Amino acid sequence: MSDTVEFYQLGGLTVILLFIAFYGGTFLVSAYIGKKRENADGYMTAGNKLGFGISAASMTATWIWAASMYASATSGYTYGISGPLHYGLWGALMILFIYPFGKRIRSVAPKAHTLAEVMHARHGRSSQLMLAGSNIVGSVISLTSNFIAGGALISLLSPFTFGQGVVGVAAGVLLYTLWSGFRASVLTDFMQVVAMLGAVVIIIPTVFLAAGGTQMFEQGAENLTPQQLNFFSSDAFLNQGAPYIAAVLAYAIGNQTIAQRLFAVREDLIKKTFVTATVGYGATVIGVGMLGVMALYLGINPAEGDLNNLIPQMASTFLAPALLGVFFIMILGSLSSTADSDLSALSSIMMADVYGKNLASKKKKPNPKRMLLVGRITMILATASGLYFASGGLNILDLLVFVGALWGALVFPVIASFYWPKVTNKAFTVSVLAALAVFIPVRFEWFPMVGATGYVFDVLSIVGIGVVLGLMAFGFFGLKPAKIVGLLAAVASAPFVLGFLHEYTVLTASLAAYAVSTLVCYFMSVRSTQNFDFDLIQERIGDYDSDSAPEPTDLPATK
Amino acid sequence: MTPILLAIYVLIWPLIVAGVLIVLVAAFYRDWRRARKQGRMIV
Repeated sequence: MSDTVEFYQLGGLTVILLFIAFYGGTFLVSAYIGKKRENADGYMTAGNKLGFGISAASMTATWIWAASMYASATSGYTYGISGPLHYGLWGALMILFIYPFGKRIRSVAPKAHTLAEVMHARHGRSSQLMLAGSNIVGSVISLTSNFIAGGALISLLSPFTFGQGVVGVAAGVLLYTLWSGFRASVLTDFMQVVAMLGAVVIIIPTVFLAAGGTQMFEQGAENLTPQQLNFFSSDAFLNQGAPYIAAVLAYAIGNQTIAQRLFAVREDLIKKTFVTATVGYGATVIGVGMLGVMALYLGINPAEGDLNNLIPQMASTFLAPALLGVFFIMILGSLSSTADSDLSALSSIMMADVYGKNLASKKKKPNPKRMLLVGRITMILATASGLYFASGGLNILDLLVFVGALWGALVFPVIASFYWPKVTNKAFTVSVLAALAVFIPVRFEWFPMVGATGYVFDVLSIVGIGVVLGLMAFGFFGLKPAKIVGLLAAVASAPFVLGFLHEYTVLTASLAAYAVSTLVCYFMSVRSTQNFDFDLIQERIGDYDSDSAPEPTDLPATK
Repeated sequence: MTPILLAIYVLIWPLIVAGVLIVLVAAFYRDWRRARKQGRMIV
């Protein structure tokens, strides 16, 4: 096929009607649950008692965003039949691997609103602000990325421009999220997930049949390289899968949208919710990735050489106009559900971490009404900044990969802080800063990775691999198996890493961040005499709207 | 992989998605019914 494909476009009136149906519907639902007087805790975590259906739907909808669909299809097109697995499977495991830690975090801080708020109760201000700062950067980038995806979708499939699309999506999301915050976000997530998952169920088989069914695989095999035909492709693993495995825990720890749902769901439903969301996310994103695999078999070239055009191109080529409308809603649902979660996450961080713990009077409890005002102003400012960055033409996916790797510096200090009473505020802060000091020069290749330098970073990468796999095992099986898994992983990977991995700077920087933060945090804590009493966290974090609101405290480590 | 296996590989995902969708809708309905019985909002 030619790479100058003309897209079949939906008419301007059709797009306006789809917009009104989608955002009008979500706004009506939001208005239905709206209270004249919202309370601050409801605005941040819906009172910590969401049921399974709504929380699992919300977790699934939030984790599926437009970029994940585009990236999975790109992976399928680039790496062949195993490509979507190496994107979607590891992304799904990000949800699964965090739930054992989530249960622990929730048990020590049942009334928390943000992870950074818990860090404040555990360590103090510097740790809290580091985590809150990284959460804010991640959420603003994610928000911007979703606005860009909306603009791109509308400019490709309608007569409207990119700028008009970005403004339309931003206004639509803000409209239904502003008043009721997280409550509106989770309830509309349910509607959006039904639309998204329903669309996937219809669209994938329809494209498969329209593209020729099994004939496509018989006739198109010659379009694939041996690596692309190989289900166990090493290319796909090394270039797509391995960097994602390194990011599995980092995204889950660094992303406030996950933490917010962790604190919102009823405590006994955490496992069920996270497991369902894992399966829902994985199947949806891998399924959409099959569009990329089919495009590869069909010999389709992405329009204008841009792989992000692949999904709309497949939809435009093989779907009837009515189903193209369904596809439009699927993408709109995926980007809106994540964008509203980003707005809720940002407002919670500003309410609880910036206002509640730092700006409110040191002598009085934070004022819930003022907190709500802070949350709503945050949403408006966040939307404005998302619009600003979206119009700046930044490479958002590159930024997101950067932030994801950056979050690797936080993983060990955050997790260790919930289990090991010896970890101090100083150890947390210094270890994260040390990891960043190593991560940034490596990531941006400020010095050449030659000779002994390369070997030093290969050794750090080996330690990083041990830390990542050890932490994953620790969540499910405890300390002893984690040590064995970590050690085995490090030893087994050493022959393949030494003298080789430093050539992959993104992966090396990420693994070095894990290694340095772990080593510094461990050696600074192991001789510490602190024996933190975890019951203090529960005492220090409560509801803002009730009498159990936390009193200001100077944070001693023991009672 | 044979064409038939590839077809199964492509089509299994929407099938799993359909299963998850049914689970989510049924659970949401139960949440909604329980909330209604207790006279409170679902969120």
